[in-house]
Amino acid sequence: MQQKTDATPARPKVEVDTSHRYGDLVVHEKIRFDVHPNEFVCICGPSGCGKTTLLDTLAGILKPTSGHVLIDGETANPKRQSISFVFQEPSTFPWLTVRQNVATGLAIRGTQRAEIDRRVDEILEVVGLKGAEAFYPYQISGGMKQRVAIARAFATDADLILMDEPFVSLDQPTRERMQQEVLDIWRRRRRTVIFVTHNLEEAVFLADRIIVLSAKPGRVVADLPVRLPRPRDQLSPDFMELRARCMAHLHPRAAGAPVTSS
Amino acid sequence: MADTSAAAALEIAPAAPRERKGLRIALWNVVSLLVALLVWQGVSMLLASPFFPGPLKIYDAFVQLATRGDVTGNSLWTHAWVSIQRVLVGFGLGVLFGVPLGLLMGLYPRLYASTRSIIEPFRFIPPIAWIPLAIIFFSGLTRFAFLIFLGAFFPVFTSTLVGVARVEPIHRKVGVVHGASKLWILRHVVVPTVLPDIMAGMRVGLGTAWLTIVAAELAGGISTGLGRMMVNYAELLQVPHVIVGMLLIGLIGFLMNEILLLIEKRLFRWRWSVSL
Repeated sequence: MQQKTDATPARPKVEVDTSHRYGDLVVHEKIRFDVHPNEFVCICGPSGCGKTTLLDTLAGILKPTSGHVLIDGETANPKRQSISFVFQEPSTFPWLTVRQNVATGLAIRGTQRAEIDRRVDEILEVVGLKGAEAFYPYQISGGMKQRVAIARAFATDADLILMDEPFVSLDQPTRERMQQEVLDIWRRRRRTVIFVTHNLEEAVFLADRIIVLSAKPGRVVADLPVRLPRPRDQLSPDFMELRARCMAHLHPRAAGAPVTSS
Repeated sequence: MADTSAAAALEIAPAAPRERKGLRIALWNVVSLLVALLVWQGVSMLLASPFFPGPLKIYDAFVQLATRGDVTGNSLWTHAWVSIQRVLVGFGLGVLFGVPLGLLMGLYPRLYASTRSIIEPFRFIPPIAWIPLAIIFFSGLTRFAFLIFLGAFFPVFTSTLVGVARVEPIHRKVGVVHGASKLWILRHVVVPTVLPDIMAGMRVGLGTAWLTIVAAELAGGISTGLGRMMVNYAELLQVPHVIVGMLLIGLIGFLMNEILLLIEKRLFRWRWSVSL
């Protein structure tokens, strides 16, 4: 995906500049970053960095105490822009079939029946759920359910796809396969993705850019571009080096690695 | 992922053994029913008392009531149909008011919390306790519909109310992040979640409705209805005819419940099992 990094667009897709507090508790202290169209950004942070608050703010369902989230220059609002969300916990509707679940985002936006069918067919193919359309969630495994949630997010023409640790509940092999699949879908569907994770391997494996947050109050402590070619080898020295740098930012006192701020 | 559908297929519980099991259970039900009838007939023949009729005597009474009618000239079917109509109207009204009010108060708990002291005491006034007032205020179908409404409303209302609390926040959020309206969330998240509770409440409500209709008809003032018919025959000490009324009430209630269960099975294919 060489041309993507070269073609720097005139304006960022997503502009984030928010602070948030609940009473006296400061959750975010001036979180600032931009995301470019079609970029895959991972946000890493220790627990307590307020990632749920950040994601809700990015999704436009929580108003920050001060600052803003702009998507294509407009305040984030799920009723105005098309935003999709993949949650950490199971979020498929148990009363809908796989196909109906995948169609949910499109149905909410009032997409035409024929268009829904076409897009759902396409995405089911991509995520490998062809043949499982008529099943109800109780009939499929946890990994498949999460794939349904991912398909639901990518089926819409979302301006922005937010992913909240979507793979934590999966076992290692499934997790690795799903990471690869998300990259494949992203490459084919060309969407802007913001992916939150605690897992640094996951971040270095997936992202174009990694944003590291600090704990209480959440602040951006590093914004690292990942220039490794895909597919990435998790055992290559470059991969390990970048991972160590992220680690150093995440736990500045624990690691002895050099801290380079951008 | 070519293996996906195959893998998924393996995770489906095969349906065939379940069906066979259902058939066997149905068979056992028939057998136990026949045994019970035989024992009953045997005991009644030993006792040889007009106050302890056996199934054969009751069958005779049934044929007489169904073909020639009762002492007042009304046939068994007239009585049954009148009772069913009353139940359907009252029960329908109970559902018609119980579901929307339950949804409303479930979605706005403050509304319920601040009107609780009005609603809750009414819940504990049995519909039967309303009979004297209903006799004063209403007549005919209205009287019975009112009483049955009282009996069916609260089970439906309460279980709807409780069901709304069961809506998963994450399901609501799926709607919200995709820009869904309040109405969409109500229709596509709240209602599907609450529907099993509504159906359960309806089945309880139906039971209460039957309880109420018989009591109301026993209380008198009107010449038709299964309850009325039973009182008429009790006054004549005709036990078999009274029992025909009892059995028919049981049978109709059972069939109505089965219809609701059938609807549930249809609606809730997405659930592992349907509760009884």
